[in-house]
Amino acid sequence: MISGFDRSGPIAGIEGDLATAMESLRRLVDVLAVAVARRDGLIIAHLLPIGSDPKKVAAMCAALVGTSEVVARELQQGRFLQSIVEAEQGKVISTGAGERALLVTIVRPDANMGLVLLSIERAAKEVEVILSGI
Amino acid sequence: MGGGFEKPSTILFFSDHPTERRLFAEQFVATGLKEGECCLYVDFYRAPALARRDFRKFGSFPEDRLLFVDGTSSQFLIPSTERYVVHGLDTFDPIMDTIEEAVRDAKPGRIVIDSMEFLADRFPMEGVFERWRQLSEVAKSTGAVVCYLFLNWIYGRKEVQRMNDTNDYTLEFQSKLTTGILEHYLRIRDHRLATRSTNWIPLSFREVVGLSVYFPRILVTGPPDAGKSTVVQRLCQSAISVDRMGTTVAFDYGNVQVSGLEAEIIGTPGQERFEFIFQVFARQMNGVLFVLDATKEEDLVRAKQILAILGSDVPLVVLANKADLAGVMDADEIRSRLSLSPSVPVVATVAIEGKGLLEGLTVLAEQIIGAR
Repeated sequence: MISGFDRSGPIAGIEGDLATAMESLRRLVDVLAVAVARRDGLIIAHLLPIGSDPKKVAAMCAALVGTSEVVARELQQGRFLQSIVEAEQGKVISTGAGERALLVTIVRPDANMGLVLLSIERAAKEVEVILSGI
Repeated sequence: MGGGFEKPSTILFFSDHPTERRLFAEQFVATGLKEGECCLYVDFYRAPALARRDFRKFGSFPEDRLLFVDGTSSQFLIPSTERYVVHGLDTFDPIMDTIEEAVRDAKPGRIVIDSMEFLADRFPMEGVFERWRQLSEVAKSTGAVVCYLFLNWIYGRKEVQRMNDTNDYTLEFQSKLTTGILEHYLRIRDHRLATRSTNWIPLSFREVVGLSVYFPRILVTGPPDAGKSTVVQRLCQSAISVDRMGTTVAFDYGNVQVSGLEAEIIGTPGQERFEFIFQVFARQMNGVLFVLDATKEEDLVRAKQILAILGSDVPLVVLANKADLAGVMDADEIRSRLSLSPSVPVVATVAIEGKGLLEGLTVLAEQIIGAR
């Protein structure tokens, strides 16, 4: 399911590319859901379970990443890598995907984090490249 | 703060629990000393030498301007070097005679009695009230402002009312511990005609600087693109903003310290999609600076939505921002179109240049402090 696009013009091609990038991440057994949002909190595309509100997810994760980046900077901890919200039934991992977007991934609580983080990093780079075209 | 009391007058510094009211009284004296006044401090708790040392933290002043009535030496059976000395605590009248003599003799501009409960706890009530009234008369005839410190242990509501009635002002202090934070409050009441009172004003105490009004949370909110973040950044020396692509995605935070006023300022996002953040910060606040782009009528819809979430109880000031641009709505139009009461202040601002912001904050402070 892809949303947030005007389906005419050159943007139409990007839709498919984003879907492919998200699906390759979603294929991991530990990954439950994926979303791409703008840094200012608007949803670009998502593979979220039915019943969740993609707009809300985008806004919340934009706030999370924005705040985390400022925390990293204010506490002099170097470059922000990702923010991980650990909950009973899963972890929400939000990371930057270029200057203007961020990638949100929801994984199982007992996920293989090494593999997950590596895949997220790769997917984030793909998203960055795809979105740099517009 | 500290000024604003008519001369001559009497002020009751009242509290039910030990609080920082003595610091306030010291500040009151220090202000007088700096203005070249002679001040008299009647102290039953501290030796004059110790008190003098305590006063030095406020800076230098001519030592001979600060006079003491020494109420401690006789308690410790040691000789005193002060001009005015209480010689014994067995009988009440000679103590009051000494104080009155000092007042008549030195004609101080400001007097502090530290404290009245020391006497009230030891001597019969009627006598204390009688001489108290008499002392006020003597002090007023010399043109002084008198502060009576009073920590209430034993008096009931009726006696407290009588104390209020016989003084011009009451400064009532309160301290409470909430979730590990000690919060100080002050309420000022004016009894001269009908009693007028401020709300409970949150305070902070700092050495040297003394006392300032302290608002732990002022919310800066309003529709998107109105200039909320700019307001926070221009008001505060070093503000933190969590913004992306020109939109605040989490919050702005900063701290203001101007003379007599200290506040933590939180700016919220304006977009509806960040309302969850707004809810977090809107749970507890002292007051709201509502920023509005005064040139954009279409923003009024969103403005009304936000006002509805804030509710009508919270002290509010509207900052009509971008006032330097053409086509701005005036204060009356803004109030009527937002269905705000005519008493809600609207301050014209140009946030990007910092114009009107301090005025807006001061007006808000007045709204919060209130006076009925």
